Amino acid sequence: MDTLIAQYTEPVYDDEIYDGEDAQLTRISGPPTANLKFALPPIAQPSAFLRAVTDDHANPDCPIKIAHGTTTLAFRFKGGIIVATDSRATSGNWIASQTVKKVIEINDKMLGTMAGGAADCQFWLNYLGMECRLHELRHKRRISVAAASKVLSNIVYSYKGMGLSMGTMITGVTPQEGPALYYVDSDGTRHQGDLFCVGSGQTFAYGVLDAEYSYDLSTEDALALGTRSILAATHRDAYSGGYINLYHVKEDGWVKHGFTDTDGIFWKRKLETGEFSNVTVDL
Amino acid sequence: MDPFSINGGACVAMVGKNCVAIACDLRLGKQTLTISNNYPKIFSYGDTYLGLTGLATDIETVSTDLRTKVNMYRLREERDIEPETFTNLVSSYLYQRRFGPFYVSPVVAGINNRTGEPFIAAFDCLGCTDYSKDFVVSGTSSNQLFGTCESLWEPGLEPEDLFETISQVLLNSMDRDALAGWGAHVYIITKDQVIKRLLKTRQD
Amino acid sequence: MKAEDDKTRILNDHCLMAYSGEAGDTGMLTRSFGRGKVQFAEFIQANVQLYGMRSNCTQALSPSSVSSFVRTELAKSLRSRKPYNLNLLIGGYDTVNDKPELYWLDFLAAKDKLPYAAHGYAQYYCLSILDKHHHPNIDLEQGLKILRMCIEELDRRMPMNFKGVNVKVITKTGIQDLEY
Repeated sequence: MDTLIAQYTEPVYDDEIYDGEDAQLTRISGPPTANLKFALPPIAQPSAFLRAVTDDHANPDCPIKIAHGTTTLAFRFKGGIIVATDSRATSGNWIASQTVKKVIEINDKMLGTMAGGAADCQFWLNYLGMECRLHELRHKRRISVAAASKVLSNIVYSYKGMGLSMGTMITGVTPQEGPALYYVDSDGTRHQGDLFCVGSGQTFAYGVLDAEYSYDLSTEDALALGTRSILAATHRDAYSGGYINLYHVKEDGWVKHGFTDTDGIFWKRKLETGEFSNVTVDL
Repeated sequence: MDPFSINGGACVAMVGKNCVAIACDLRLGKQTLTISNNYPKIFSYGDTYLGLTGLATDIETVSTDLRTKVNMYRLREERDIEPETFTNLVSSYLYQRRFGPFYVSPVVAGINNRTGEPFIAAFDCLGCTDYSKDFVVSGTSSNQLFGTCESLWEPGLEPEDLFETISQVLLNSMDRDALAGWGAHVYIITKDQVIKRLLKTRQD
Repeated sequence: MKAEDDKTRILNDHCLMAYSGEAGDTGMLTRSFGRGKVQFAEFIQANVQLYGMRSNCTQALSPSSVSSFVRTELAKSLRSRKPYNLNLLIGGYDTVNDKPELYWLDFLAAKDKLPYAAHGYAQYYCLSILDKHHHPNIDLEQGLKILRMCIEELDRRMPMNFKGVNVKVITKTGIQDLEY
């Protein structure tokens, strides 16, 4: 087993970085190594070039359109953590997909969410899953959410300025931490918190979520609030929509609560509660 | 910041057997933000219908300016304007702004009152007229609309079949466009009646 | 900017206009040519009042007519050498049809009639709250409760601090200032 692990372990770097919260246990993957070698454009300033051709925020006419636009949210409450996302991927105004899975199952206890560059999130959260598994094998115990999020944040920090684009939330429940929620983005930011919304529709989700959020929410109410907040964002934000992907993270792992079309949820809500009075139903 | 895609919107017109149909979405947005879900883009001038997509401010300006012109025409001629004449009016009106255009893509649909022939046409923002015998499209979903029209439209559709076709065309195109949707209006125009319907659509 | 700046103008007995400038440099079409917001607001105010005097005060302009006039003026200015750069909300009570009305206009002179509206950051934070809690039949008290929710949310999430709010209510009887 040890030889197997050694195969997948990177050489130790002199400038090892340690996580304050999980000091001796977590070795952070440093800069790219043998299994993380990315082809770069053979020019003097690869990062500036990449930004010019792919970052449509800085340059709206950029030739390469990366899938963008999202609403994701996660919040802590007494019953664990609720994670909810929409499922739309857009490139420009074109809806590239309505069935994207923006919740990434890192392992059967931890979840990550996806906002920003779809490929960046998918790849690095998948990679994080591998790192977490290796941690488990090395240390014979599960990695803490704090450590896992730090692993990810250190990786993306090492690529800072090269055009990675991701805003993600890492969630999980561990015996030592309880329900834990971290926000990590490609700028290298890492925050612990009770409630986050990330993506182009974040403000709309915050609006609904803030008004009714409380740590003592029942599980049923918490799930409903998560759904309603995403629904609000899909309605107002053109780059969010599709299906609502809902998860509940508990101590013994996460539970999936469906991948439900917003079309059905919207009209049901409108009919039953009279919300969305701005939407006309008769000529 | 393309003026044609700030507010978003979609419009399509089709010819059937002794009938025409015109349909539009209801969104008014400001880039990614949806401001209103009740912003129709079809305007009627007697029996002739005009669909306008593009910059919302110009939709308003063009539709009201044309209203004035059509009212003057009616007073002078003592009859309603025919679709062909209206098309020429729209074209020359738009070309007046050759060096500072209105950012709109108009679509005209109607039935000629004398011959009973269905008529549709589309324009670019400078007034170049595109006469068509089958369908015309405009708006941020125009690529999608062309695709769905090419595959669903067929010649000689009866009014009810034309309604089904144009509705499916618009609905399925809007579902692939982030800037259009949030409800739709459909007009089915025959020689002796006009039916207007509201389509309940996805609201995301 | 003064903290007690009132960004509204009374147009006539039942019509109030609120205005704000475009934040940041998103106004591509009007960049660096912007004229004063106050000038435009006062120009509109003066002209609507002039209309009231000329028409012998028998019937004041309805909110829908006022909004059309404002839009035309804003649209004219948009294609002039020095466009005005402001977003507007026009609220009014239509005394003929006995209905309150709200019009939303942006700096490009796009106009729409809405049940609830906002400009600037408030659009992003408050519209979802209004989507959830607004109802066509709410009374003043419920309306103010929703308004309070919106302001609380802005206070919590907005990147900058705004120095208080002015609240005005337009009813059948006229326009009142409300203590907030």
